Amino acid sequence: MLKTLYTIFGVGVVGLYAVAAMLGWEIIGGGSRHQLPPDARQNGYRSFHFWHYGLHGGK
Amino acid sequence: MSALVANCPACGAPVEFKSGQSIVVICQYCRSAVARTDRDLKDLGKVAELVETGSPLDVGLRGKWKDVPFELTGRAQLGHEMGGQWDEWYATFSNGWLGWLAEAQGRFYLTFQYPTPEGVQLPSFEQLQLGQQVPGLPWPTPLMVAETGRATALGAKGEIPYLLTPRETYYYADLSGVNQSFGTLDYNQSPPLIFLGQQVTLEEIGITTTRAPEREERRVGAAQLSCPHCAGPLELRVPDKTERVTCPNCNSLLDVNQGRLEFLKTLEKQWFQPVIPIGTVGEVPEGKMTVIGAMARSVTIDGTQYFWSEYLLYNPQVGFRWLVNSDNHWNYVRAVPPGEVAEYGKSASYGGKNYRIFQDAQATVEAVNGEFYWKVEAGEKVQGVDYVAAPYMLSKEVSTLYVTDPNDASKTKRAMGEINWSLGTYIEIPQIEKAFSVSGLPHPSNVAPNQPYKHWWVYKYWLLFLGVLLLAGVLAFVTSGSTKEVFSQQVTLPPLPNADGTQVFFSNSFELAGRRNIRIVGESPVQNTWVYLEGDLINDETGVVQSFPIDISYYQGVEDGESWSEGGQRDSAYTSSMPAGRYVLRLEGQWEKWQQPAVVSIKIEQNVTHGFNLLLALIALSVGPIVMGIYHIGFERRRWSESMFSSSGGDDDDDE
Repeated sequence: MLKTLYTIFGVGVVGLYAVAAMLGWEIIGGGSRHQLPPDARQNGYRSFHFWHYGLHGGK
Repeated sequence: MSALVANCPACGAPVEFKSGQSIVVICQYCRSAVARTDRDLKDLGKVAELVETGSPLDVGLRGKWKDVPFELTGRAQLGHEMGGQWDEWYATFSNGWLGWLAEAQGRFYLTFQYPTPEGVQLPSFEQLQLGQQVPGLPWPTPLMVAETGRATALGAKGEIPYLLTPRETYYYADLSGVNQSFGTLDYNQSPPLIFLGQQVTLEEIGITTTRAPEREERRVGAAQLSCPHCAGPLELRVPDKTERVTCPNCNSLLDVNQGRLEFLKTLEKQWFQPVIPIGTVGEVPEGKMTVIGAMARSVTIDGTQYFWSEYLLYNPQVGFRWLVNSDNHWNYVRAVPPGEVAEYGKSASYGGKNYRIFQDAQATVEAVNGEFYWKVEAGEKVQGVDYVAAPYMLSKEVSTLYVTDPNDASKTKRAMGEINWSLGTYIEIPQIEKAFSVSGLPHPSNVAPNQPYKHWWVYKYWLLFLGVLLLAGVLAFVTSGSTKEVFSQQVTLPPLPNADGTQVFFSNSFELAGRRNIRIVGESPVQNTWVYLEGDLINDETGVVQSFPIDISYYQGVEDGESWSEGGQRDSAYTSSMPAGRYVLRLEGQWEKWQQPAVVSIKIEQNVTHGFNLLLALIALSVGPIVMGIYHIGFERRRWSESMFSSSGGDDDDDE
């Protein structure tokens, strides 16, 4: 049972890696992806307030 | 000496010395042992009737050894001090050789007499030590003492090549060595006679099938008897081998002598109940084995008594085997030649495999049930040493018996004994249940000394997956091509309106290819301050927005005379590939020195090779094996926690 599970898991991991390599995916740390609202696109997104809450930086 | 036909001095019947090497011939009419001397024939006395041992051999049988034909011309039956008897057959070869073919417990040993080498003085019987190598023997490999004992000439048939005197006793030592080597030192003379050779099969000496079917037929034939104590019915499953049997009706211990039963004593109320009933026939890889006996044994360690049970199995073609049940773990056990095992301090080797010592204790027979091929009784003790290399357990049992020589006026007791080695193989409970048609056997709660770790496979699979993964990584690297820069610009952001305010920058549009990952690199010449940017890649056509952070902070200074630095003037972010198309970069920034403009260089690259994905895959594949490895360590600790020779074991600690 464990053998089967690990085999399935291992094939899945190796397969996922291969697919990610082919399609240029970053498995983690890829940032968030959104879709602009239709009205923002129609009215010009340059004035649209994006989804960045609490900009912060520094030490 | 030549062939001779004469009359038996006891009964007058004709006796014939066919072989020139024969010293004694047994008169087939009166069973007198007739010896020929230089001048006449001498009656040495009557031999006992031969005990039927179910041997496949007989006087007159012919065979071949190393392409030299031989004929079995005589047979002597010798009594063992510990009970039972064995046969010695005398093989007269066509080229003049004379071989001794000993038969005991279904095994055969062919030996030839060797002269004592010049200048060699063999140890006396009293000097012999079990396990000791005997120096100076004319044999290519070392031979060690496996057994010392006293034999009594009981019965005989045909022609005997030495002066066999009925009921005469003599001392001997059996030797064992590698490659099935076997030898006997016969202390009937001084210096002792040397017989050396090897264990053989009937096939090897060319008489395998001659009487094998008859042998099996005779051996499997059980004997129906009555208990001499309670008159209840009693069955002997191996009548030609059994020395002791317990009565299932009155729980008496009976001695078996040539099929006759003799009451010895009534055993205490039988607390030991075999979980596999006596008489059960099991199907094991070696063939069908019948459970003919069972016994409970124990060892006492640090004042605690530990019990286990042993089942004696028998098959006429295979011989005897054991099934050992300890702490609900099971082992299938067979004997191995003592000379094939080498001991080195706290380890041993057999068959090219090394074993580590686990236990060394005196084992005591606590209860018996059924039939046994030796004169077993409760209280019998042996010194046992167990060595393990899962799934195998190599066990040594040393038994010693002190006997008085009837011819010795001083009545000095002589030590005799034997070393028996056996190899146990761990068997899973379902296999036992299937083989012996039993169910509901209790399951163990601890780890057996030789219980195999079941999950070695995980390491193999792990290595396999790692190999495939690394191969895929190399392929991805080779086939992905080089990194391509798609955007680069230095941006100067005007001062912020206040400390919490932001400034936004939009780039001109640029092309991004599909199926290529993206790296955004930001650089700013900051010194002891920070710049933080939230970036967005915006697809002009579809409105898809990919956000990413760029956090640049760099601090440095000198403290206590030592310079230090933290952070850097560069930061990067990776994102997955975007659909191919034209994109605009949006940056929204904040920085600490908000009254001043911020200068930032932004570069966007595609098809960037790095090892994050590979590292993540490696970690994912390794979690399972690491967890299993931790379990494995615990498994081995639990195994060795019960050993006398582990760092966490008993008094006799050993940190090997």
